[in-house]
Amino acid sequence: MSDAVPAAPAPKPGSAARSLVSCLLAWFLPGLGHVYLGRKGRGAVFCVVVLATFGLGIASDGAASLVDRGQALTYLATFDNVATGPIELLSRQRTYGRIVYLLPREENHPERVELTGRLRDRVRSVTYEYGNAFLLTAGLMNILLILDTFDIAVGRKD
Amino acid sequence: MIRSHFLNMAIFSALVAVFFAFLTQNETRDRLRVILILGGSMIVLSLILAYVMYPFPLR
Repeated sequence: MSDAVPAAPAPKPGSAARSLVSCLLAWFLPGLGHVYLGRKGRGAVFCVVVLATFGLGIASDGAASLVDRGQALTYLATFDNVATGPIELLSRQRTYGRIVYLLPREENHPERVELTGRLRDRVRSVTYEYGNAFLLTAGLMNILLILDTFDIAVGRKD
Repeated sequence: MIRSHFLNMAIFSALVAVFFAFLTQNETRDRLRVILILGGSMIVLSLILAYVMYPFPLR
């Protein structure tokens, strides 16, 4: 009996453009990449689940993360927020009153004081932690969906 | 805005379970199994952990 592990199927030739388009669509709207690849039912479910998670995050006063160059984890959190797609702009607008990604480095910078003040208002909300968990989970789900559409597009997965 | 910690946890577990069921399984029966096992274990294990932590004060 052979212990050899079966080789992964070779990527389909000419699928680079298809995989790129599917990944971009998956980022643009959760589940859209799956719909593009013909998995309409699955794509619809993913769309509902991720948007529901994101919506609950906003409704529970979750806050979009800002990159603070002194804190490495804020890069990851902001990347995770951005991975949710353009819909992420809603949470950013709601949290900070505008679209902003970077916290100024100087402690007394007026913009930094204003942004951290807005964030502090959010933190005072009873459901802030729930909201943050929902928002970050929506981003993580969409990252997995983007990777999944890539696997389907190159023929690694049915 | 849902203030109940348990309700938030149940909704979160359900969403995550449905997501992974559809991500990893192709058959309806298999998906239901994943939803029940994953969603159920997230809730039950959290409740067990909460009861284990209950006797320990924060300070």
